[in-house]
Amino acid sequence: MMHILDEIRERFGAEWQNEQRPDLLQIGVQAKTIVPLLTWLKAHTPFVQLTHLSAVDWIEDGEFQLTYLLTDPKAHVSLMVCTRIDREQAEAESIHALWPQAVTYEQEINEMFGIHFPGSPRQGVPFILEGWNDIPPMRRDFDTVAYMNSHHPSRPGREHTDPRAYIGKVFGERGYLHDDD
Amino acid sequence: MPLGIKIAWSFLGVLVAIAYGLVIAGIIRKVMARIQGRIGPPVWQQFIDLGKVIFQRTATRHGWMFYLAPIFRAGGGIGLYLLIPVVIGVPALSNFSFNGDLLLVMYFIFFGSLGMALGAADSGHPHSPIGISRGLSQMTAYELPFALAMVALAAQVHSFSIHDIIMAQQGGILHWNLFANPLAAIAAFIAFLGMNMYAPFNIVGAPQEIPVGPPTEYNSIFLSLMMSGRAILAVAKIVLYMDLFLGGAHSILAAFVKTIIIYFWSVFVGAVFPRFRTEQAVRFFLGWPTVAGIAGVLLVLIR
Amino acid sequence: MDNKPKSTLPVLVEPPKGAQPHGPLGHGYFLGETKRQQALPMRESLAKIKNWFRANSLWVMAYGTGCGGIELRPLTTARFDFERFGMAMRPTPRQSNVIIISGYLAVKSLKRVIRAYEQMPSPKWVVGLGSCTINGGMYWDSYNTINRLDLYVPVDIYIAGCMPRPEALLAGFGELMKMIKRGEANGWNHYLENFDWYKENQKKVINDWNMPDYNW
Repeated sequence: MMHILDEIRERFGAEWQNEQRPDLLQIGVQAKTIVPLLTWLKAHTPFVQLTHLSAVDWIEDGEFQLTYLLTDPKAHVSLMVCTRIDREQAEAESIHALWPQAVTYEQEINEMFGIHFPGSPRQGVPFILEGWNDIPPMRRDFDTVAYMNSHHPSRPGREHTDPRAYIGKVFGERGYLHDDD
Repeated sequence: MPLGIKIAWSFLGVLVAIAYGLVIAGIIRKVMARIQGRIGPPVWQQFIDLGKVIFQRTATRHGWMFYLAPIFRAGGGIGLYLLIPVVIGVPALSNFSFNGDLLLVMYFIFFGSLGMALGAADSGHPHSPIGISRGLSQMTAYELPFALAMVALAAQVHSFSIHDIIMAQQGGILHWNLFANPLAAIAAFIAFLGMNMYAPFNIVGAPQEIPVGPPTEYNSIFLSLMMSGRAILAVAKIVLYMDLFLGGAHSILAAFVKTIIIYFWSVFVGAVFPRFRTEQAVRFFLGWPTVAGIAGVLLVLIR
Repeated sequence: MDNKPKSTLPVLVEPPKGAQPHGPLGHGYFLGETKRQQALPMRESLAKIKNWFRANSLWVMAYGTGCGGIELRPLTTARFDFERFGMAMRPTPRQSNVIIISGYLAVKSLKRVIRAYEQMPSPKWVVGLGSCTINGGMYWDSYNTINRLDLYVPVDIYIAGCMPRPEALLAGFGELMKMIKRGEANGWNHYLENFDWYKENQKKVINDWNMPDYNW
């Protein structure tokens, strides 16, 4: 299946490529080639099914990574098409014209990461959160502990223990119980 | 017997019928639980439920039809029960049978459902009209074999009086309409499955689809009226079937045994079958049960 | 998504202590202790009878909010069978007496829980199931789950554990029945007496409050 990665690199230009497993290929491309690339993949290759669309926050690089997971349903081979977009101007091209189910993924990513997909329907419509008025919660600069302490206070008397120290105290240095114990 | 005493006895009879209906409902819950390998609630659980429901306060406000529907339901059950003689020869339990009551009984069986339809439409919950529309389509379907069976019996006896039909069956088990006109009996007893709303015809309440169906919004005293209405309607139906097909009853014990047998016909069928879809149920009733009903009428006409 | 200003910090006040006197055995507002009824000679015995009926016919709202919902299903099956105690699942709040908050409660679910709870006819009880309802449990620092259930709805009994097994649930229900018979399960009175306090807390976490203040 490696030949398809080579063909993508020749046609669209890839930044990196990887064969993680025989049935899982990865390729990183420029953001502007995403729509032509996916259109070509859907029209001319067996990768016709959009299985997943997810985002990762690379806050150190100041970038978001978008991962389009395509699947060849006959050969059961998946292809991860990865791209990086700027974290400040978080905008990506919508692929809802290729796969209608992408609307839901883009809606969720828009809500959880604040990435905007111009032209995609239901952008900004609440999907999981209701009445959220903070920065999108899946961004890594969102401090969940501070948010919880300020919005949902704990009952007095909650104790915190360091898990490693506690397990060592209870189960000994080995850190787990064995059948022989 | 003076009319006043008759009315008093009938009032008592209605209370006994409600209690009997609640007891058999409790027995059914126990039987279902044992079939599923559970211990099950006590037999008197229905009484506890009824009491608890009465002791609840309600603040639900919908329209006037919402309040009237449980009254229609209970009134339909009580009216049906009062028309059917329970035990022959015991004046207190022979109720208000008169010439031509079979027609009125056929109407009263469906009266409660129609009232329920109006009330459910007023409650505003989407599950209620869905359940009602499913129930009414099923009702239209099982009414056909049921009505054909009634016509066959009436043509056989040349009378629309339940009392006459009972009297024509006296003189031995083989004179019962169950054996005298088996085709009509088959049609009627299959229609009975649909009437009792147990599986495979429990498409009105349909637990996994429209959780409780029509009574979704009813609580408190309305629900208690509907529970007692359902209980007395069940009793009235099995007493009607006993009168029409099992030769009536001359003692309370015989009435008890015969009604239990008739009711458990639908319970045992319900315990082992899954549910039909609505259109499947309609097709089923309009299929060979209707053919059996027509054949029952023809059997009478040929003889 | 635009970044709106953060909501103000909630200032939680303890619920007012010293609730107003109830009728005998937990009878409160919805049972209407009028002057005439207070003068009845049998009112204590009648209350006991009513509470016995209520305790032996608990209808549970079939609504699972979190992972604890998976522990409710075995209760209806042959192994644990809570129907022998007269309990049953009702799919509609109008016919339920008990609502079980089964585990973590997202703010979005809290809105539905409040709606369902207020639609239930009194008397009604709330069972907090699992550590999440007590103090957030393992989801204490999640961005969208509440930490303390009793700030928003009155909880009559907690069943601790993560998750409590069905045996623990049955034990909790048994304890709830005893409390009802003794007239101690009074959360629904507490809710009505401190209605403003509960509403204030609810509106602090539910930002898009698009329902009436009380759901009839």
